[in-house]
Amino acid sequence: MPQNEYIERWQKQHGKRLDHDERVRKRQAREGHKQSHDAQNLRGLRAKLYQQKRHKEKIQMKKRIKAQEEKNVKSAAPDEPSKTPLPQYLLDRSQATNAKALSSAIKDKRKEKSAKFAVPLPKVKGISEEEMFKVVNTGKKTHKKSWKRMITKPTFVGNDFTRRPVKYERFIRPMGLRYKKANVTHPELGVTVQLPILSVKKNPNNPLFTQLGVLTKGTIIEVNVSELGLVTTSGKVVWGKWAQITNVPENDGCVNAVLLV
Amino acid sequence: MKTTWKDIAPVPTSQEFLDIVLSRTQRQLPTQIRAGFKISRIRGFYTRKVKYTQETFCEKFQAILDGFPRLADIHPFHKDLMNTLYDADHFRIALGQVSTAKHLIETVSRDYVRLIKYAQSLFQCKQLKRAALGRMATICRRLKDPLVYLEQVRQHLGRLPSIDPNTRTLLICGYPNVGKSSFLRSITRADVDVQPYAFTTKSLFVGHFDYKYLRFQAIDTPGILDHPLEEMNTIEMQSITAVAHLRSAILYFMDLSEQCGYSVTDQIKLFHSIKPLFANKIVFIIVNKIDVRRPEDLDPEQQQELQEILKAEDVEMLQVSCTTTEGVTAVKNAACDKLLAERVSQKLKSGSNTAGTPGGRLGDVLARIHVAQPMGGVQRETFIPEAVKNLQKYDKEDPNRRRLERDLEEENGGAGVYSFDMQRDYTLADSEWKHDKIPEVWNGKNIYDFVDPDIETKLAALEEEEEKLEADGYYESDESVEDAEDADIRMKADLIREKRTLMRNEAKMRKSLKNRALIPRSAKSKKLSEMEHGLDAAGYEVDAAGSRARSQSRPRGRTATREAGDDDAMDLDDPRKAIVRAKSRARSQAATDRRNDGVVDETARSKADRLHKLGQKKMNRMARQGEADRHTTVSLARHLVAGKRGIGKNDRR
Repeated sequence: MPQNEYIERWQKQHGKRLDHDERVRKRQAREGHKQSHDAQNLRGLRAKLYQQKRHKEKIQMKKRIKAQEEKNVKSAAPDEPSKTPLPQYLLDRSQATNAKALSSAIKDKRKEKSAKFAVPLPKVKGISEEEMFKVVNTGKKTHKKSWKRMITKPTFVGNDFTRRPVKYERFIRPMGLRYKKANVTHPELGVTVQLPILSVKKNPNNPLFTQLGVLTKGTIIEVNVSELGLVTTSGKVVWGKWAQITNVPENDGCVNAVLLV
Repeated sequence: MKTTWKDIAPVPTSQEFLDIVLSRTQRQLPTQIRAGFKISRIRGFYTRKVKYTQETFCEKFQAILDGFPRLADIHPFHKDLMNTLYDADHFRIALGQVSTAKHLIETVSRDYVRLIKYAQSLFQCKQLKRAALGRMATICRRLKDPLVYLEQVRQHLGRLPSIDPNTRTLLICGYPNVGKSSFLRSITRADVDVQPYAFTTKSLFVGHFDYKYLRFQAIDTPGILDHPLEEMNTIEMQSITAVAHLRSAILYFMDLSEQCGYSVTDQIKLFHSIKPLFANKIVFIIVNKIDVRRPEDLDPEQQQELQEILKAEDVEMLQVSCTTTEGVTAVKNAACDKLLAERVSQKLKSGSNTAGTPGGRLGDVLARIHVAQPMGGVQRETFIPEAVKNLQKYDKEDPNRRRLERDLEEENGGAGVYSFDMQRDYTLADSEWKHDKIPEVWNGKNIYDFVDPDIETKLAALEEEEEKLEADGYYESDESVEDAEDADIRMKADLIREKRTLMRNEAKMRKSLKNRALIPRSAKSKKLSEMEHGLDAAGYEVDAAGSRARSQSRPRGRTATREAGDDDAMDLDDPRKAIVRAKSRARSQAATDRRNDGVVDETARSKADRLHKLGQKKMNRMARQGEADRHTTVSLARHLVAGKRGIGKNDRR
């Protein structure tokens, strides 16, 4: 049996086949043709996957080209020192000379601005009660009057909640749709942490929903931020902070929120 | 115990992994779903998707986990070797990550299946499924590095030589470039690279050879340099691992000519520094390259150092030259002998109890072994037939040598011309029969089927029996005389039998319905003649019964026909009357009988009947309709016959 690096050994002993380089060159030359052929002839799922792959590759390619171009831009900074003397306290400030640094500075500024002044979700789509509640009609009495409702959206239910007797329980919040934690993003720090929800402060759709603790897009919730170690101006540790839900929890199976700062 | 891991399935990269799993989900599960379906059906559809994906993921991950060896389960040698080659911690962590990913994916699937139960619409179900698969994909994508690492490990692991830690092993170690690999090449068929520079061998190599009908393995290790264990690199550590863990005979190679670039003193030092690893092992010092320099040629100081080693330890020195192959076999044999003796004694020792008698499994085996000897110390010689003993030894040069087939061939025209006589060596009763020609087939029969080697004896036996019977008077009987009474009875019996078969046949004919309705016998009309015949045959008086039946069947009153011989009647008519009467009648024509026309005689008739039957046979058998059956043609749809379509509009016609 051959053992260890036998392939390399064989190549060392016998070399590669005579037309190896030629074949490699040709294969590389054919690569473009093959891609074009694939792009034109693949069908169905495979075509979809192929296009996605190419799309990503092309993005990378473009980015690289752009980076290359940025690097190549000649700076317009003056070669000789300026005639006017600079004051002492400005001497250590080097001027951004190359275009890349400039562009990145602009990008940084834009990013900061957007984070600072944008309100996460100023508007939400309305949700009707019909959509929110499913009529429960089981049993004789409920069936006749149909007064019982089940909530079809994710909810937050406090720790100390106990269900009321069946006779008096109008709204059922199913166990499977109860959430205790939210993935909260700190917009300035740019970190996302999973934090426990403390309460629902405001559901923009309906005060009833607020009361029931329904979690929909745009709902303001209170989260426990003690893990983040935020401190108030007076030096106390902040532990409850508000956040706004940014996704549609019933579609995503999780609650994402952005911290309101 | 497993010593090779060549059959681990390839580990795909994380991207390939994803493609495999997701496309499998896409291919294996139904893809058609509509918003109008029942919500339970929609939920089931998406639940199945999520679950199936999770199952595929878990199955694949489990396959990876099962494929790789668990370090705790393998031999310490392999464990240490893997540790030096792949870093055991790294290996364990990689497998751990795969296992964690499996659990995470299971959790994700469970969560989302639960959520899909509450979903209200197709869109929601779909989004949940999408989220679930997305999260699984993310978990899988995070495994990028472990998977790449595992694939590399797999490839390397597959190429490791199969080293059995428990078998008879010669372990070759020493400084680099002292001729370890060339020794391995000279005693086994292993194709090991031999080059004139240090560290040509970078990993363990195995070769096998047989000695005393036993399979030995020889392991070639990379060279070791003399420095502390912590400073050793991976290549040297492999040697150390092998030396430390394998129960073997160690051949410590030395190069006294110092062609390897290390002085003799250095080599002796190295021996001392790795000596602790040699505990409980047989050690040989092999002096290599004796064609260049022998130990006798050393200067006295070094010679003394060398002698010290040999004295102090239980070490034997052997000399070898791989280039001239001097002493190679001697070294091999010496090492193997000693190793075998050592292994046997160890086995005995481990198997024997405190009293010194072998117990346990060994004792069992020994108790069962019994070598039988001839009684009374008689010597049994090998029997060699006299003819064989006296046989002259064949000598090609001798003119009186035995004549071989080859000689005959030469004499009779050489190869291709001479065809040897197959029948010459037949052993038959008479040697003249040898060349008799026997046909293989005679009268269309295979001769061999009728050949019975014992035919002569059988015939003889039969004849003998016959003679004996004859002699006993078995054939002399006088019962052949038959009296008339008997003959009469016999004749009647024959008649009865014949009659009975006739009746049976008739009944059979009657009973076989041949696709006709069954008519009860009472409803059937029988001819009077038949009745008369039957009665007559049964031996009754016919006349009375016949006339009675006739009289009853005849209507009363005047008969319609004219009696021909009515002589008593008045003769009124003139003779012309008959002529007129004849003229008034229509001319009688011969009736055509389609059954019998053209049929000449009885044989032709029966032949025609037979043919008729034959023609009908297939139709009857297949229960097919014949031409006489009532038949309704297929009623065509209106558009097929109404003629609204032109020719060539479509091919439905």
